[in-house]
Amino acid sequence: MGENGFNFMPAWPELFLAVGGMLLLMIGVFRGPKGREAAATWSPAHAINARSVTWLAIGLLVITAFIVSGQPIERSVIFAGMFVSDAFSIFAKLLILLGSALTLILAIDYNEREQMARFEYAVLILFATVGMMAMVSANDLISLYLGLELQSLSLYVVAAFRRDSLQSTEAGLKYFVLGALSSGMLLYGASLVYGFAGTTSFPGLAAIVADQAAEAPLGLIFGLVFVSAGLAFKVAAAPFHMWTPDVYEGSPTPVTAFFSVAPKIAATALFVRVMIEPFGALGDQWWQIIWVISILSMGLGAFAAINQTNIKRLMAYSSIGHIGYALVGLVSGDETGVRGVLTYVAIYLFMNVATFAVILCMRRQGKSVERIDDLSGLATTQPLLAAALAICMFSMSGIPPLAGFFGKLYVFLPAIAAGYYGLAVIGVLTSVVSAFYYLRVVKIMYFDEPAPAFDQPIGTAMCIVLAGTSLFTLLFFVYPAPLLGAAAVAAAALFAG
Amino acid sequence: MYSLAVLMPLIGASIAGLLLAFAPKGHGRDLAAQLATCICMGLSALLAIVIFHQVAILGQSRTVELFPFITSGAMQASWAFKYDTLSAVMVFVVTVCSTAIHVYSIGYMHDDPGVPRFMAYLSLFTFCMLMLVTADNFIQMFFGWEGVGVCSYLLIGFWYDRPSANAAAIKAFIVNRVGDFGFALGIFGVFAMFGSVVFDDVFAAVPTFVGTKLAFLSWEFDTLTLLCLLLFVGAMGKSAQVPLHTWLPDAMEGPTPVSALIHAATMVTAGVFMVARLSPMFEYAPDALAVVCIVGASTAIFAASVGLVQNDIKRVIAYSTCSQLGYMFFACGVSAYAAAIFHLMTHAFFKALLFLSSGSVIHAMSGEQDMRKMGGLAPYIPITLAMMWIGSLALAGLPFFAGYYSKDIILEAAFGAHSAVGQYAFWLGIVAAFMTAFYSWRLLFMTFYGEPRGDKKVMAHVHESPWIMLVPLFVLAVGAIFAGWIGYESFVGSRMNEFWRESILVLPAHNSIEAAHHVPFWVKILPIIVGLVGIGLAYGLYIRDPERPRRIAQNAQGLYRFLLNKWYFDELYDAIFVRPSFTLGFGFWKKGDEATIDGLGPDNIAANTLRLARRASALQTGYVYHYAFAMLIGVVTLVTWYMLVRG
Amino acid sequence: MGTDGDVMEGHLSMLREYLPILLFLGIATGLSAIMVIASLIVARQHPDSEKLSAYECGFEAFEDARHKFDVRFYLVAILFIIFDLEVAFLFPWAVTLGEIGLFGFWSMVVFLGVLTIGFAYEWRKGALEWE
Repeated sequence: MGENGFNFMPAWPELFLAVGGMLLLMIGVFRGPKGREAAATWSPAHAINARSVTWLAIGLLVITAFIVSGQPIERSVIFAGMFVSDAFSIFAKLLILLGSALTLILAIDYNEREQMARFEYAVLILFATVGMMAMVSANDLISLYLGLELQSLSLYVVAAFRRDSLQSTEAGLKYFVLGALSSGMLLYGASLVYGFAGTTSFPGLAAIVADQAAEAPLGLIFGLVFVSAGLAFKVAAAPFHMWTPDVYEGSPTPVTAFFSVAPKIAATALFVRVMIEPFGALGDQWWQIIWVISILSMGLGAFAAINQTNIKRLMAYSSIGHIGYALVGLVSGDETGVRGVLTYVAIYLFMNVATFAVILCMRRQGKSVERIDDLSGLATTQPLLAAALAICMFSMSGIPPLAGFFGKLYVFLPAIAAGYYGLAVIGVLTSVVSAFYYLRVVKIMYFDEPAPAFDQPIGTAMCIVLAGTSLFTLLFFVYPAPLLGAAAVAAAALFAG
Repeated sequence: MYSLAVLMPLIGASIAGLLLAFAPKGHGRDLAAQLATCICMGLSALLAIVIFHQVAILGQSRTVELFPFITSGAMQASWAFKYDTLSAVMVFVVTVCSTAIHVYSIGYMHDDPGVPRFMAYLSLFTFCMLMLVTADNFIQMFFGWEGVGVCSYLLIGFWYDRPSANAAAIKAFIVNRVGDFGFALGIFGVFAMFGSVVFDDVFAAVPTFVGTKLAFLSWEFDTLTLLCLLLFVGAMGKSAQVPLHTWLPDAMEGPTPVSALIHAATMVTAGVFMVARLSPMFEYAPDALAVVCIVGASTAIFAASVGLVQNDIKRVIAYSTCSQLGYMFFACGVSAYAAAIFHLMTHAFFKALLFLSSGSVIHAMSGEQDMRKMGGLAPYIPITLAMMWIGSLALAGLPFFAGYYSKDIILEAAFGAHSAVGQYAFWLGIVAAFMTAFYSWRLLFMTFYGEPRGDKKVMAHVHESPWIMLVPLFVLAVGAIFAGWIGYESFVGSRMNEFWRESILVLPAHNSIEAAHHVPFWVKILPIIVGLVGIGLAYGLYIRDPERPRRIAQNAQGLYRFLLNKWYFDELYDAIFVRPSFTLGFGFWKKGDEATIDGLGPDNIAANTLRLARRASALQTGYVYHYAFAMLIGVVTLVTWYMLVRG
Repeated sequence: MGTDGDVMEGHLSMLREYLPILLFLGIATGLSAIMVIASLIVARQHPDSEKLSAYECGFEAFEDARHKFDVRFYLVAILFIIFDLEVAFLFPWAVTLGEIGLFGFWSMVVFLGVLTIGFAYEWRKGALEWE
């Protein structure tokens, strides 16, 4: 346990990535164009620099992923109880690293085309990733906040990364202001918790909460509500989702892609850990919060998306809905439920990356287009692209045997087993409603008059990512055991301690 | 061999169907289809004769099991061919008639564009019919039952470009649905009570169920009576018994060979066959037997009375069929199953003969079916005339023709049953016999004798049918003349016990056929007398004084109209069932479906979803302070909730 | 009731640890109040246009605060905050260096290293060049 504080092994991936990120920062800044003029205007020199740094960053992420997967799955706590490494954190970290790496790959070409390629993008993503990894390994409210802020600060910047775009800066600003508000709530909640429990450490909290589970002080529950609100903001669950559509729409598309996977997975994992580990004994109380949040998210994700014409905004609502479904698994608060959540976010990662890969391919005469109508007749002009998007849409609406169906299955089953029939029924109903707009995309692609074709080619790396993720979505049902098994181990780790 | 007899028609049908699908249109294809189906049918008929010899004469009854059909818990049903005397007789009758009619169809349908389709349907029908009669369990029987129903539907509506044919086909289908519903319920009931659908198991268990009650809702029924009545409803539908008879006359919209095969010789007799096959059940349900008897006798007199005034040559024969089926049923009703099957066989021959002859007449008259426009055809088509005479003599039951033996034994059995229903059946049967003779000769006289009433052009073209149509007539005529004489001793006479063996069960107390041999002489002679009187009356009215029928019709306007309109059954059904159904359906469609279900369901939900969607997107104002406010409201709501809950 | 008492006792003892902060707050408030009030009382008040005009940054002292600032001020402010915090961090570290030993020393070195990387980036990007 490292009483002397010298055991760094469990935190080795984070340290590696952080140091690597700083090194890349130095490499980028010393190899790239120098001075204020260069910083103010974009030139192809930036692109060359950004490309190499980004590939290095992807390499770092991959290496980190290897380090993470080499970690022992036994639970080990270091840094005076601040940091924990267990199967759960390893599973979440792998997903986060995968999400970050894939969305970085997607970003390379796009950023160059849009003349916004700067090496800082990759570095910021790396730092955000470090923050996320710290989040999922948090074993204390303090380290939770530390990781969360490291992540958030980097995200605020990347949201506004396209500095000369009004939309992008607006998105960044909105995200920042609301993010600060949510951080405030989280902190306020944490201080309430500390005030009523006298400790911020998760195991300590767990012991105290278990002690007085029957009549936990109201202040503790208030604290829990505020903490949940802060976390719900990070996962973009209703009613704390308001930033999502604007930020998703306003941010550059690769950023949106990144937002919709890695931070979401990290925040969900953190949410699960906070609810299960320190406050597990209060399950009778907090399931109501999650229940409400989940239903609101599913409902909003289903209904508000119907009227959207911008595909990124559509995906924003879709992601809100998906978080609602994932949280269904958390409501039951047991091991199978958590396994369902983890499975769901893992599948969601692949579906979403594939979808955004297609969205990133939507450009005509070098200009990106984002309207859903722009997809019309894609099946005739680019059948493979259309097929990939159709797979994603079918999967997202939960049609068997695609991956999305299993995601939903594994969150609804525990909810039903735990007796939350209403929740499951509402979930199924809203997924029917959401099927409308998913399938509308398919209909537009396959049955509407073809619009002019998108620019070709779409790039080798992009092709590989798109093919890989959509094939995973399509063929998940063939061999789902590894993912399900890993999720089961990860979920079990949460309930062991 | 036993399987092949049943499967040959299916092979023929498949060949014809494949030809229809893949071969190029033309005369060659038609010829190939005709040849294939006829050869298959012929082989089947030959096999059937051999089987008849082995099973019925030599007594080697057997069940050939092909493979399991449905296995679900206690429910076991196989594809199997049960050959005992009863089914051997049926297979014989069906294949022989069918073969004759297949051959006849070659001539009759020669200029029709849909020859392969027609031949395929005919063969498929025959296959289904054979499946029905050789079934060893209720499920296969039901399969055949529905199969013949489908084929009947397809063949009635064969000329699908005629609205009347379509209407008739639909009518036949729907009316049969009523009967089949009863049949299906009966099968469900049998399975529920006996736990098996195999005939042998059920029959073995029947005696233990005598007197048991079956509770349904608040009523109690005698188990066997209820089951038998339900099954009999099926028989009524298929065999066109009052009040489910209305489809049969309309079914004459189909080509004449169809009328002969399906609506005279085979399919409509399936109900009779079913009752005979289930004799071990009906025997223990005397109340059900009484119902069978009353329904049969009522149909016999009703249909005969309607037949008196019809003008369409085929409709007269159709009502005659209906009436003869009534005879068979009341024979069953007095436990004279053997007599019923005997009559079934003879009737198959002479009624098919009559139909085909009338088809020949229609053929000669270039499609004209109204007897008022015929007359005086005798010199032009002598062979057809002879055939018609033979058929009519057999139908009227004049001595030594087939009908004489079978009809008389039925009437004698009814009399010999010495029960109230038996007497009812006997006297109605006698009256019906009189009517039968009358309308048969009315048909003969109106068609062949007197002044030619057809228009000149048609009369100029009147010609005898080709040999391909006449040869089958001869075959059937042989049956119509000799079948009764040959079969009498075996079917209902002194050798009947050795002949039927186990296939039909008659309780000793119900042995009406035995009693039939000891009835008074006047009972034996009465049918012949009324038959002769009927012929005489027809002669008097239509040859001696052709104007009188019209005068009688005018004097007895009410009765005439009543009969001409078939006792207003169609109008009654139209008023009671059809129009209310239409109104109800229209109401359900407009008010129920469109206004209520669509209105509150899909349309309403869709509209509300859209409204909700607009509201939900309107939430997104773009103002940061709205967003922050929403978050705060969320937190405050949750906090308030916990405060209230926790007190 | 006994457990309630214990809980209360626990809370009180925890709150007692914050007493110095409370005292500190009180003293700071009092001191600043004394300073402002004293200057009002003791010093002479002679406002004139020169005294009220913009000083150093180039902003008008009294006008609408919703105003576009040159982004360079933010950069300077951010840099200041970072190094301000660094110093705030360094003081307690320096005081307790003897107790936290080598581990403490290297921890601070790492921290300074990270800051230095940030500083180098800033420098290289030209954020420190005013013109």
